[in-house]
Amino acid sequence: MFRKFRNWCFSALTIVFVAGTTTTYAQGDALFKAKCASCHQPHKNGTGPKLFQVRQKWSDGGAKEGSIYQWVNNWQTAAASDPYAQTVSTWSPTAMSAFPELKKEEINSIMDWVDSQPEPGAAAADGSTPADGMTPVDGETEDSSTSWIWIILGVIFITIILAIGGVRRQLKFVSDENAGKDSSDNLTYSEELKAWAWKYKTYVGISALVVVISLIVTLFLGLYSIGVVEEYQPSQPIAFPHAIHAGINGIDCKYCHNSVTKSKSAGLPTVNICMNCHKQVIGRTPAQQEQIAKIYDAAGWDPAGAGKYTGKTNPIIWNKVHVLPDHVYFNHSQHVVVGGIDCKQCHGDMTKMVETAKVQTTAELNKVEGNVPLTKPTMTMGWCIECHGVKEISTGAITDTKKDGYYAEIHKRLLNNDKTLYGKYLQDGKVTVSELGGWECAKCHY
Amino acid sequence: MKIKFKALASLAVISITTLLLGSCTADADSSGLEYMPDMYRSPAIEPYVDYGEVRGRENKDMKMKISALVPPMGTVPYFGTDSTTVNLMLPYFRKANVAFRETHGLYGDNLSIKDEYALAIADKNPIKLTADNVELVFKQGKELYTAMCQHCHSEKGDGNGPMVLSGAYVGVPNYVDRAALSDGQMFYSIYYGKNAMGSHSSQLNKKEIWTLVHYVRKFQNAEYGKFDASGAAVVALQTSDTLVKK
Repeated sequence: MFRKFRNWCFSALTIVFVAGTTTTYAQGDALFKAKCASCHQPHKNGTGPKLFQVRQKWSDGGAKEGSIYQWVNNWQTAAASDPYAQTVSTWSPTAMSAFPELKKEEINSIMDWVDSQPEPGAAAADGSTPADGMTPVDGETEDSSTSWIWIILGVIFITIILAIGGVRRQLKFVSDENAGKDSSDNLTYSEELKAWAWKYKTYVGISALVVVISLIVTLFLGLYSIGVVEEYQPSQPIAFPHAIHAGINGIDCKYCHNSVTKSKSAGLPTVNICMNCHKQVIGRTPAQQEQIAKIYDAAGWDPAGAGKYTGKTNPIIWNKVHVLPDHVYFNHSQHVVVGGIDCKQCHGDMTKMVETAKVQTTAELNKVEGNVPLTKPTMTMGWCIECHGVKEISTGAITDTKKDGYYAEIHKRLLNNDKTLYGKYLQDGKVTVSELGGWECAKCHY
Repeated sequence: MKIKFKALASLAVISITTLLLGSCTADADSSGLEYMPDMYRSPAIEPYVDYGEVRGRENKDMKMKISALVPPMGTVPYFGTDSTTVNLMLPYFRKANVAFRETHGLYGDNLSIKDEYALAIADKNPIKLTADNVELVFKQGKELYTAMCQHCHSEKGDGNGPMVLSGAYVGVPNYVDRAALSDGQMFYSIYYGKNAMGSHSSQLNKKEIWTLVHYVRKFQNAEYGKFDASGAAVVALQTSDTLVKK
């Protein structure tokens, strides 16, 4: 009976103890994220120094007992009374905020939580899978190696055929000589071939026809492929995965391509935009860290130690993916702002694009939800024209007369000046881009 | 002897042809056949195109050596002739602290040794909210916020955006905890960056930042930007009719 009671007491105590530690752990986690994390990280120096085992560091450095808590409440009073705290205050020109509301237990819970955080590099080294789908980008392709295998095989086969043919001819030559025939009237290759072709002229004729027709077809297909750049995916200096940035981390396209609403060009991000996040995001796997190190090199950021910009920058030279010839004018802001077209209509669902950017095929674009289905190859004139023919001008512009802007003005003018024309446009229930002049040559070629 | 030579010659012809055909395999950095290559790489310079190598001909002087750059310091884009707009778009008169060179990489900027963040407390928002324009300002603010801030600061402004939830980034404050910030300091922080946040002056112009300041205030106080029947603001606004000038 007593034994049972004792066991029960032990288990109850254990539960209370575990629950107690987890609450302080959760409290430390929450407090750290709310109060400290905008400047401090457990294992990396940021605006403030790293906090891993900071209590140990202070006592090793000869700080007075309890001055670290005083520091958190108000660093200036701590620096005034403790020489060690005075040296800490020179760490960075950015002064730490005062947290007079934090009690000693709360500060301890924060420090306990920080000390329990594992080093980020260690997690990757012991082979544990990186969280959040942060898979390394595999840029290897095997297309070129496979085509070489076929070429080598072809060469070997042709060599064998020729060698056998040669042996046969040699044998024939020898047998003729043995039979006492005159070798001078021995036929050459071409004469032999002619004789053979004459003998089987029906089959030779038919196969020649087939060959000629297929050659013509290939020629025309080749001609049609001129100027079609679908699947074009040039190599890039940094293996940039859109899936992680726009997909998992939910960054809007316009954050990096921020001139898309203001300019003809959507704009490539300057390296300072990369650094807005990558000052802190160093990558979880060695493959990612290697890529992100290229950003640091370009931005002149020294991630070691306190983390500083050195001022020594290097260019990142991206390869342009979508290139239009000079006789075509395309303006991003016209399509995105006035037309209200989503990026995915032409660029596909970049939130799933793990590799670097490429010109999507029409088939892929048609799979994306909400896209206008088109048939012509991407980036060709047929493709543009097709969309201009079916895409209605920004939704609501026809019925919502109060709406200001470009299309509302056109609506007003049509209503006031030419009602019959407007009625004609509205026969299919929508006003398309082409009806407002989207098929005029000079809209894009001037 | 003659026959042997013939066989060798034909073998050579065939292998050279195969090699030539083999060299036609696609080059990943070539976009394929073009009608008029000089129309794709024309003398009229297009952004981000490398003119250093056109159809195998190399031109070392034209080779791309610089990446995308921020606009030169002090340049003002053309914003029409309306003097209010132009005044609003003139370069920001407050300077970043010299420490921002190392912490935020502002090497090209004119910096100040003074703590101008503290001085910015007095700056007023030049976009005046009225009962008429408040809807438009908040609509523009929402668009800008979605594109520029939401991935970290979250749709609700509590600092739990998708970047924080995915575990990629930590330390984004809740706007409610920063209610004591003045409009001017909020502007300064977006323009030059603050702590872990970088400078957003290359992505947002001054009008857009002031619009965002209005929008962010709404997270801190739901009553912000509401007007009573007499047209007076429910929450005191830190706006000014006169533009802040040097």
